[in-house]
Amino acid sequence: MLFRQIFTAALASAAMSVFPAIAADYPVDTVTLVTHSSPGGGSDVFLREMSKYLAPELGVNVVVENVRGGSGAKAMADLAQAPADGARFYATTPTFIYTSLLSEPEYKYTDLEPLVNFFIDPEVIYTAAGSKFQTLEDVIKASAESRGRWGAANPASLERQALEQLKASTGVQAGIVTHEGGGDLMINVLNGTLQIGVGEVQEIQSQLEAGEIRLLATFSDARLDNFPDLPTVEELGYGVVVRKFRGIAGPKGLPADVIAAWENAAQAVLASPEYKKTYEANNLRANFMPHAEYGQFIETFANDTESFLRESGVIK
Amino acid sequence: METLYLVAVHLGNPYVFLAAAAGVTWGILGGAMPGISPSITMALLLPFTYTMDPTGAIVLLASTYVGAEYGGSIPAILIRTPGTNAAAATVIDGYEMNKQGRAGLALGISLYSGVLGSLFGLTMLILLSKPLASVALAFTPPAYFALGVLGLSVIATLSGDSLLKGFVAALLGLMIATIGTDPVTGANRFTFGSSDLLSGIAPVLIMVGMFAMSELLVQASDRSEGTKVLSRPRIEFPGLKLARRLMFPQSIGATIGTFEGVMPGAGGTIASFMSYNEARRWSRHKEEFGKGSPEGIAAPETANNAVAETALVPLLSFGIPGSNSTAILLGGFLIHGLVPGPMLFTRSADVVHGLYAGLFIAAIGLLVIGILMLPMCIWLVNRPRPYLSAFIFALILSGIFSIHASLFDLAIMLAAGTVGFFMRMLRIPFLPAVLGLVLGYLVESSFRRSLVLSGDDLSIFFTDKVSLALLVVAFLFVAGSVGKRALDFVRHRPSAHYSEGSE
Amino acid sequence: MLSRDFVSGLAAISIGAIYLVFAYGLRTSALDDSVGPGGMPRAYGWMMLILGLMIAAGSIIKHIRSGAAPDLGIEWKGQGRRVVWAAGLLAIGALYIFGISTLGYPVAIALLLAAVSLYQGARPGVQIIAIGIGGAAFLWAVFVLVLGVSMPKGLFILL
Repeated sequence: MLFRQIFTAALASAAMSVFPAIAADYPVDTVTLVTHSSPGGGSDVFLREMSKYLAPELGVNVVVENVRGGSGAKAMADLAQAPADGARFYATTPTFIYTSLLSEPEYKYTDLEPLVNFFIDPEVIYTAAGSKFQTLEDVIKASAESRGRWGAANPASLERQALEQLKASTGVQAGIVTHEGGGDLMINVLNGTLQIGVGEVQEIQSQLEAGEIRLLATFSDARLDNFPDLPTVEELGYGVVVRKFRGIAGPKGLPADVIAAWENAAQAVLASPEYKKTYEANNLRANFMPHAEYGQFIETFANDTESFLRESGVIK
Repeated sequence: METLYLVAVHLGNPYVFLAAAAGVTWGILGGAMPGISPSITMALLLPFTYTMDPTGAIVLLASTYVGAEYGGSIPAILIRTPGTNAAAATVIDGYEMNKQGRAGLALGISLYSGVLGSLFGLTMLILLSKPLASVALAFTPPAYFALGVLGLSVIATLSGDSLLKGFVAALLGLMIATIGTDPVTGANRFTFGSSDLLSGIAPVLIMVGMFAMSELLVQASDRSEGTKVLSRPRIEFPGLKLARRLMFPQSIGATIGTFEGVMPGAGGTIASFMSYNEARRWSRHKEEFGKGSPEGIAAPETANNAVAETALVPLLSFGIPGSNSTAILLGGFLIHGLVPGPMLFTRSADVVHGLYAGLFIAAIGLLVIGILMLPMCIWLVNRPRPYLSAFIFALILSGIFSIHASLFDLAIMLAAGTVGFFMRMLRIPFLPAVLGLVLGYLVESSFRRSLVLSGDDLSIFFTDKVSLALLVVAFLFVAGSVGKRALDFVRHRPSAHYSEGSE
Repeated sequence: MLSRDFVSGLAAISIGAIYLVFAYGLRTSALDDSVGPGGMPRAYGWMMLILGLMIAAGSIIKHIRSGAAPDLGIEWKGQGRRVVWAAGLLAIGALYIFGISTLGYPVAIALLLAAVSLYQGARPGVQIIAIGIGGAAFLWAVFVLVLGVSMPKGLFILL
């Protein structure tokens, strides 16, 4: 909220100067994308980059607003109470499902309407270049002999869940250490405190290029274009697939023309050669889902997460 | 040496110069506003950096950070309100000096200590980035736990006349730190279904409440027409004798600040409290501490400004932000397509050298802008007391609201002020509470992380060499000050303790 | 009996006890480590309780030793009046919090400036109004114009 005016001003002027906002069929002139990430944070930088390409496709000005607090609880409350006129949207990541389930805030993911999905971030398992582990099997074998030390970036997160599932499916013993973000985790992998860590490729990119980190496997459903030799966890026979989505949700009851405009714009943005170069370099995988499919996807995702949290006793 | 030459080339670049000067000015203003943290000050500039060239953008943000870390000490000295968390230790002696009519000297000391701290930190950053980065790597979870314990050991000396009451205050701080999301499981604790409490209570609310609000309440409760000692509205630098005396506390601050800055998650607040404590321990004028000691300003101010420089080590070498402020700086890098980390020095060496040059200009700019601005600040606090109180109250209510645009935060701050008021009445020191609050999360999360790592084997804290060393030092500190109190008690001698000037 | 130390002890005991009740109410789950979310809070709570008892006991022992009954009149002299005066300032702050959404930031902060100045002993007069309006204008310029904080606009937005 604090940053609303300045970001609005800066982005609006940036958008205007490049692409004159043409009053197309879209019902409003300015679209606000709300994120719970702080300015300069991962989702925030991602959204601002994307909004540059989104603005001309929708024919509106696109601004990013940071509504922080309560790991997304505030942002969800903000959106759930906003009018469904196509002016205000929420940038979704798995966080909003986790916060809804764990914190039971007043407004949850069920009070929002998933609109379209843009990306799936691949999650990879990595280790320090100097470690003795060459493959994921080495790690699993070692953990079967003596208690393993694995790391996830945040306490209740998709990464944590993925490791817990990997532990359960292999039946090995491992302590799963949680951190305060990917950077914290990486230090502990680099200095050998942890055997493996899980994170998004973009978080470890610089270390990867410097050859300080070795990738062992990816949790995605297919091999990654940038790392064709990297096996997926599923094909190694451990049966864990993780889909960290990045999409858009709005208030309930979005009009049909807004939904259609977004479905078209999302596909056009993802196909834009210029943007493609940027996001592929950042190891994001385009994964467009239209409104109908995305709603289903979010529901399945939430149900899976809920049953995991319920089985492990985190929630009642 | 080659690096130095490449940095020097950028010193003449007018673009770098302008960005550094603008950043440091903006930073001082933001840092001096209570509630507006260095990271918010930087975040406000972020959108403007889009259109700048990468070097200018990074220099602008980094200079803002330097300015803001210094700016926090101005309200700490003048109105007992730490403008930034790291300035909390400066309040102790700074405000006392102000009350004695020595505000000009207090501000002068904090300014030139800040500049020295910045320059020292910058030198370390430029020359010893590689070895310092390996210090960051040596800190495993048990080592962080030991560091937190070492920080908490400072309580033993900050507790005034009653050690027991000091521990009570520290526990209160640790309890407040447990509110919010659990660091290991992510479950909610003590949130009572309120979404305002999900991410915990920001330390700044408690600090501003306990320091500034409680002072306002005490002033309101005291109806006597006490005459206020006014300071002359000019900034004074210490003479040769005092400057020589300050060299030792400054070197303590510079050393502690350099190391704490390098460790992600440790940060300026711990550094300034620890340097305050060490400066007091090794001082020849112990009795002055808490009653307006110049050393008590020099040490923490050197430390937190050194932190602002060396905090860039983990960011530049690993791409890891150790604090909210460096996270914003990371955002600044990413926006321009630069990825901090091991490849940064090979790929974008020019930006790094420009950054170093900008930081140098920022450190000098600190001095210039400080000298121009501070007399006006002293003039402001010389206004009649009713108006000054009213303005401080309005300022902290506005500043605290700005953090999350939340009225709930204002209520928390008022509540913390009330608690602080009663603590002063009951002669319970509240510095340990602030320290407990700041360190609570670090201590708990790294303790539990270590046990997950070792499979609940407590020996991990002794097999890890860094952890063992820090724990031994912490033990010696506590044993030393408890022993001294016991000795004083046996000899029926009043302890030369630190006093908080409660009434 | 009711010395400041004794009251401090009682306060610590009650804070510790209340905190412990909630600490024991924390949920446990399979994702927990051995310490668990409740581990540290319980330790803090018990330590608080024990320290409270020690402080309270210490103050009793001190009085028994000194023999004479402590003069509570001196110990607490003038404190009641102090609390009342402080509560008044707190009430102004509370009114500000309740009023800001309706009045809007500029009006609320101007009233706060004037009210606190008067409460702290400034003489009523034109300068109070000037301070209120001038101070509010300055703070509004800093926080709303320069820092871009979206302060509550209140119902007077139409004016």
